[in-house]
Amino acid sequence: MFKPLSQQPTSNTHKASQSILWRLHLDAPLLLGLLMLMGFGLLVIYSAGGENLGLVKRQLVRLGFGLGVMFVIAQIPPRILKMWAPLLYIGAIGFLLAVLLFGESSKGAQRWINIGIRFQPSEIMKLAMPLMVAWYFAEKPLPPNFKQLMMGLILVVAPTMMIMLQPDLGTSLLIASSGLFVIFFAGIRWRYIASAVIAILILAPIMWFFVMHDYQKGRVLTFLNPERDPLGAGYHIIQSQIAIGSGGATGKGWLKGTQSQLEFLPERHTDFIFAVLGEEFGLLGVAILLTLYLFVIIRGLQISLQAQDTFSRLLGAAITLIFFVYLFVNIGMVSGLLPVVGLPLPLISYGGTSMVTLLAGFGILMAIKTHRRLHSR
Amino acid sequence: MYKKQAIKDYGREISIFYARSVIALIIVVLLLFLLLFRQFKLQVLNYESYQTQSENNRIQVRPVAPIRGLIFDRNGELLAENRSIFALEITPEQIGRKKMDDTLLRLSQLLDIDQKQIDEFKEQIKFRSKYKSYPIKSKLTEEQVALFSVNRHLFPGVSVEARLERYYPHGEDLVHAIGRMAAINKQDLEKMQQEAEDTQDFSKLNNYAATNKIGKLGLERYYEQQLHGTVGQEKVETDVRGRIVRVLTRQDPDAGKNLHLYLDYKLQQKANQILKEAGARGAVVAVDPSNGGVLAMVSQPSYDPNLFIGGISQADYSALINSEDRPLYNRAVQGTYAPASTIKPHLAWLGLQQGVITESTRIADPGWFSLPNNKHRYRDWKPWGHGASMNVFDAIVESCDTYFYDLSVRLGINTIAEGMRQFGFGEKTGLDIVEEKQGIMPSRDWKKVVRKEPWYMGDTVNIGIGQGFWTATPLQLANASAVLANDGIRYKLQLVKGFSENDVVEAIIPEMAHEQIVTGDGRWLDLVKSSMYQVTQPPKGTAKSAFADASFTAAGKTGTGQVKSIAQDETYDAENVEDKFKDNALFIGYAPYEKPQIAIAVVMENAGGGGGNAAPIARELMEFYLTTNNFIQSQQVAEHQPEAN
Repeated sequence: MFKPLSQQPTSNTHKASQSILWRLHLDAPLLLGLLMLMGFGLLVIYSAGGENLGLVKRQLVRLGFGLGVMFVIAQIPPRILKMWAPLLYIGAIGFLLAVLLFGESSKGAQRWINIGIRFQPSEIMKLAMPLMVAWYFAEKPLPPNFKQLMMGLILVVAPTMMIMLQPDLGTSLLIASSGLFVIFFAGIRWRYIASAVIAILILAPIMWFFVMHDYQKGRVLTFLNPERDPLGAGYHIIQSQIAIGSGGATGKGWLKGTQSQLEFLPERHTDFIFAVLGEEFGLLGVAILLTLYLFVIIRGLQISLQAQDTFSRLLGAAITLIFFVYLFVNIGMVSGLLPVVGLPLPLISYGGTSMVTLLAGFGILMAIKTHRRLHSR
Repeated sequence: MYKKQAIKDYGREISIFYARSVIALIIVVLLLFLLLFRQFKLQVLNYESYQTQSENNRIQVRPVAPIRGLIFDRNGELLAENRSIFALEITPEQIGRKKMDDTLLRLSQLLDIDQKQIDEFKEQIKFRSKYKSYPIKSKLTEEQVALFSVNRHLFPGVSVEARLERYYPHGEDLVHAIGRMAAINKQDLEKMQQEAEDTQDFSKLNNYAATNKIGKLGLERYYEQQLHGTVGQEKVETDVRGRIVRVLTRQDPDAGKNLHLYLDYKLQQKANQILKEAGARGAVVAVDPSNGGVLAMVSQPSYDPNLFIGGISQADYSALINSEDRPLYNRAVQGTYAPASTIKPHLAWLGLQQGVITESTRIADPGWFSLPNNKHRYRDWKPWGHGASMNVFDAIVESCDTYFYDLSVRLGINTIAEGMRQFGFGEKTGLDIVEEKQGIMPSRDWKKVVRKEPWYMGDTVNIGIGQGFWTATPLQLANASAVLANDGIRYKLQLVKGFSENDVVEAIIPEMAHEQIVTGDGRWLDLVKSSMYQVTQPPKGTAKSAFADASFTAAGKTGTGQVKSIAQDETYDAENVEDKFKDNALFIGYAPYEKPQIAIAVVMENAGGGGGNAAPIARELMEFYLTTNNFIQSQQVAEHQPEAN
């Protein structure tokens, strides 16, 4: 039987398994990449927050918590995750239903639920979705046939619709894409992909007129033409581009970005932190950031390639790609390639429950890497 | 499993996955290059354009602080206003960290700024944006403004700004009723930040972008949200250093809502004046029984809240903090005192309601009470007793302790604890103030949990005369008095009657705090109320001299609270007791008796007997309020006599 090289157990791994990190179920290169990104983020937060150490401390606490969650999840063998995947998915669906029925509103959208602590069930779905779809395709002969594909799509569409109703279009699209990535890696035929793309092109105008809310349309229009509202919504886009552009090749220097320091730039330490980074560290800093991200993505895909079963493989690859989508959408938005959506820059932006979810995802990747059965099939 | 595996083609699966991973990676790398190219375009190709724009970036959005709502009393008297002042402000960024200490030192030499003000300023700039200006000293005098103007060139980054600042025209008369403001400190800001992050709602935090002061106590704190208003925005043209050149457009802030109180400032002022003249430490609370509105809430000694507005000086602060009389302490809502005999009417009502006594139950009072099989004597205040045959009516009028020792044992502590909650003891009155204490309405469970001791019978006996573990605030006492005046209906106490905003008035509807207390077809109520009337009347009323020749009718109850317990055979000798162990003087009551307009509680620390010390003050205030509000003519003589029992 054909096996790629990576699938063969090598004697080297035995040696590696003796290391402390390995026994703690942590993957050293991945951990290193994450920590470097976080460190970079803290530097930028300190500057963006007006040299506010309190902000940095609070972020450190959050990062610590996120890493803790990652560590705990890394201890769970993937087969256990697989066992619990359907239950988690059903639970998350239940919470989403509860949000729609009795969720708490904040800024016109129902996203929160309060069961002792307030949280957003869509965060659970961010992980439950790839887990569930990977679970579904893991035991099917791949590439999937049409019927299985439809079933998989139903698993993706149901929660997506529910989140869209909250309404939270951005998150729903993210969650949908995490499921679609699994289907992509499961080997969906190209002709299906092509027809899906055509369908979207047809559906887009329908979405525009019947589904999207005014504020979402406004964002798109403003994106296409920031001058439409130069001191309102367009202000973000114009100011962040000025900030990035004036950074030049090497940047104005840490703590010296005039755009961000003089508070021209809104949401400096959260969604628009990339603009501060671009202004103070220049193209060089951006290149370093993108390299770090690429490093993490390559390591994620590598771990998935070496995974021992279909479930882990599909799951790992989907988690990695979702990470990419986050950073691409955020940087694209801040630098004026994409319309403004409220999405943080992963591992860099201040705060956010989404970071905890993200780190939980990396915990799964580490589990895939480190919980290896001694005998390959 | 085997069947499934049989049709699963692992080799094909893995090679598909491999291929897809490579494709995904290629796409990822291409898109990352797209991002990088975008930055390249911005940062290298268009660098000069953006660089120029950045240099010329002069349009800046600045927050504009809203005008804080005013506070008025029931007659439209202004209690809290905003005055325009000159403040000395510093923009930290324009000075730089190295020169800051030097600048502050030179400023303090020029303008009389003390170390505490410097410390407070430094504390504030530590956690807020250094590009905004912060006051180091407000309320500059005209000479100081002139002096600074002459020397301005020596102080780049320092400026004199015209600002609106809170001012309390009646100073110390009102601080314990309406509270006060102070500078936003680190804790306030962190609390707001935390709240914003927890709820993901940053609007409140943004709303304070231009605000430097926040309500710290009382109404200023409780109604902070309504008083504050909504921040405005101003698009300004600035120079490269961020200094404003001119204002382009302006979205005006929305001023906060004005508060309109039930409070009667004249009564408040009078009460302050009387307590002050008596040299008393104590509190007076007056309530309108028909709606729970607070007419006066006084705590003496007091202090001037205006001291805190512009940053209090070290000397003033030490004086307040170290004073033995504790002027910062709001006795009206935070002081918890043994209610003493003032609660006898309430206990009598409960006894009637529970059926453990009737109107005609009589007991003998030899001057003491003792529990069965126990030699300990609980003494009456009258050493030889109130006679062989006391009924409940006379027991209230003469404040017979023995009767109520007996009654409390008949009732039992759990019934008392539950029954007294109907009058609001042991729970907050619901007053619109955060600092309110709830006192202690003791019970078996309370003692077990808090004191980790079982409840003894003797504890119950002491409860009968409002001593022992029972404590209540003057506010609760006034509340309990209002419940009697209002025939058993208890309202949630309320300082604020309504809000106004651009002449639109919004009233707060009085809410009942408890369902109406069972009055036994009015019989129990009549008995208790008429006995309280008799308290103010000769021949035996304990407040008869205080109310002698009053131009109005009143009901009341005196109380004398022991501060120090007296041993079995010791006698209380007012002459030889240290001042801080002297009895507290208490009085509750309402007037006019027939149609109550004001219910009042007076508590005076270590002043002696309630009848002699607290009751006269209550009488004077009742008279003052009823006369100034034309509820009675000053010459009118009370004619009504209740039926004697």
